Amino acid sequence: MGKIEWAMWANEQALASGLIYLTGGIVGVAGQFRGWQFAAFAVAAGVFVCLLEYPRSKRAKGTSVERTGQYCFSVVVKSFGPLTRNYYVRAFILAALCVPGGFMLATVLGCVCLGISSIIYLVAAIRGEHWEPILPRKETKTKDTGSMIRPPQNPPPRPPPDMHRKRVEDLGGAAYDNAIDVTADE
Amino acid sequence: MVVVSVRSWVANEGGKHFVLMLWLGANIWLFMKTFLLYSTGKQYHYLYKMLGLGLCISRASASVLNLNCSLVLLPMCRSLLTFVRGTHTVSSRKTRRLLDKSKTFHVACGVAICIFSVVHVSAHLVNVVNFSMSYSDDFPALNLARYRGEDPKLIILTTIPGVTGVLLVLILFLMFTSSSYCVRVSNYEIFWYTHNLFIVFYIILMVHMVGGALKYQTNLEAHPPGCLRANQSSTEQHGEELGQNEDEERRCREEAHFQPHCPQTWLWVSGPLCLYCAERLYRYIRSSNPVTIVTVIRHPCDVIELRMLKKNFKARPGQYIVLNCPGVSSFENHPFTLTTCPTEIKATFGVHLRVVGDWTERFTQLLLPESRLDMEILPMVQQRRYPNLYVDGPFGSPSEEVFNYDVSLCVAGGIGVTPFACVLHALLDGWTGFRLQRLYFVWVCRELQSFYWFAELLCAVHHKLWQENRPDYFNLKLYVSQPDSLQCMSEERYRPLTSRLLVGRPKWKLLFDEIAKTNKHKKVGVFCCGPKGISSTLHRLCNSARSSGTTFEFNKESFS
Repeated sequence: MGKIEWAMWANEQALASGLIYLTGGIVGVAGQFRGWQFAAFAVAAGVFVCLLEYPRSKRAKGTSVERTGQYCFSVVVKSFGPLTRNYYVRAFILAALCVPGGFMLATVLGCVCLGISSIIYLVAAIRGEHWEPILPRKETKTKDTGSMIRPPQNPPPRPPPDMHRKRVEDLGGAAYDNAIDVTADE
Repeated sequence: MVVVSVRSWVANEGGKHFVLMLWLGANIWLFMKTFLLYSTGKQYHYLYKMLGLGLCISRASASVLNLNCSLVLLPMCRSLLTFVRGTHTVSSRKTRRLLDKSKTFHVACGVAICIFSVVHVSAHLVNVVNFSMSYSDDFPALNLARYRGEDPKLIILTTIPGVTGVLLVLILFLMFTSSSYCVRVSNYEIFWYTHNLFIVFYIILMVHMVGGALKYQTNLEAHPPGCLRANQSSTEQHGEELGQNEDEERRCREEAHFQPHCPQTWLWVSGPLCLYCAERLYRYIRSSNPVTIVTVIRHPCDVIELRMLKKNFKARPGQYIVLNCPGVSSFENHPFTLTTCPTEIKATFGVHLRVVGDWTERFTQLLLPESRLDMEILPMVQQRRYPNLYVDGPFGSPSEEVFNYDVSLCVAGGIGVTPFACVLHALLDGWTGFRLQRLYFVWVCRELQSFYWFAELLCAVHHKLWQENRPDYFNLKLYVSQPDSLQCMSEERYRPLTSRLLVGRPKWKLLFDEIAKTNKHKKVGVFCCGPKGISSTLHRLCNSARSSGTTFEFNKESFS
């Protein structure tokens, strides 16, 4: 029921997998185990995946929550244009990056997790989703003047704004009748 | 000043932190005990020599995992917790306040499971490498590898602990990544369906230890660890001159015998798992009768009021129910706070739901197919074809405690007023017998029209208490936070509301100071149901210093 945005889940998974891949790679290189070259590749691939996945996409419907400090990553990822916008490309990149991890024990887990994220990105791409950067809105909020908004422009008696037009014609009816008893804010 | 602030903090946060310390202490104690057992225990002497620290760390983290896997299920037994909340003889107010934090405890146990799984898996990977490289020719029974230098990946994939371990980690990974706040808020279904994989997780967990990868020595008297074998002599080991007699004493009388452990996880986990499954079954049975929809009323600002009838349905003010409408979606369940509870006089109960999101939109379309703008009340005889609706609940929430304080402050933001509406209905029906002496009610809305949802109710309560000569019992403050266009509530019968209506955001500190001054040396219960901004401000104010000796206890209602 309703449109599920698979890309959001795939993004969380891919970020976590990138971290696991990176950790496994570091362990593999540090211990100088057999096949440590794969681990070195995993370190680089893990860093790349984390950087790629850190900026969250803008949701199609609803409010998007940014990750802390993701704006600069967002700008960089956006500059690659259709390569990063399209989720088919992303799914393929993740699948390709995860394969070398399968050859070494320390990075096997990262490989499988990245593979799962790649599959979910594929599902997202089939459903037609794509990546949108979250850009800061132009701030059109009024100045924060505490609880008083739009202080009156005219001296009393002050008719409401839509009675401005009538004021010139009907001076007699310009006496203002307060519709709401507004009590003073303590 | 500092002393009073400490008192406020202890009153508000003390209980939670005490439970947290207990839980941390239990985890640390279990970890250290198991670690020491494996590193110093005689029955693990040979195994320890082969595997080293990896053995101790993996077993210690496994025992912590056992504890947390059993504890993580308990806070999710909602009906049980509702029952505990309701029995005032068993639990005190402090205990009930701790129940508010059950979801936080569940998350804490879940995070602990993830962290210790990482530790456990890393330690076992090291163990597998050691099993392969330190293949023991002296004690072949201890080995997990088939020959020296066997590929560790093969060892993992051909033993039961290895394969089940990989599956467990994958399931845990799926569950963990889909339970982040972002995914829960945007796609609750993904969270719900992946989290229900827990049953697969537990079944696999219980067979994880089958196969006995780790063995302990059984004949410690006959073969003390470190004793001399038949073809060794002490001079080889120590290079000293020892007599033949001492050699004989330290000789092993028989070969070491090893035996694998029985799987222990089921001892820890089966109790809470059975309890949770029983709870789900009970909830399923209880919600299997569809309810009868009596009335559907459309209110301004996209709010629908729904009145229903169900046999044997009892609820207390402040509780919430979960609605399931198969006509909209078979598997989605949505929580709504009750706004009217069934009483002896009136058996119907009701909820107010705000139309925001697919499910509520579709549900409203099913209830009111033609877009009529006015109220729609049909007598039960001419009932229209309403969709089938199932109700699960009621479940307890922090707002039930409003009546158990001497003074209560209820702060509601927008539709968050629903738990307090039920409280006000209870006041209307009969306010004797409660401990509550004074109620402060602050309702902040974006638009003036929203107040129409409960305008009648508020005025009725106000009038009733005024008539019964308790004018200071109910103190109402309404705030309109965004008066962009001038709106008016001009009906004469809503006079008590319009005279208490203020424009702009409330000044919380001043409000708290006013309440503190008029209620010295009392415990005030603060109940908040609204946006995060308001609740964090109120939480901070409750923890801060107060010179008049009043303590504010913070209780927050939340659904996500």
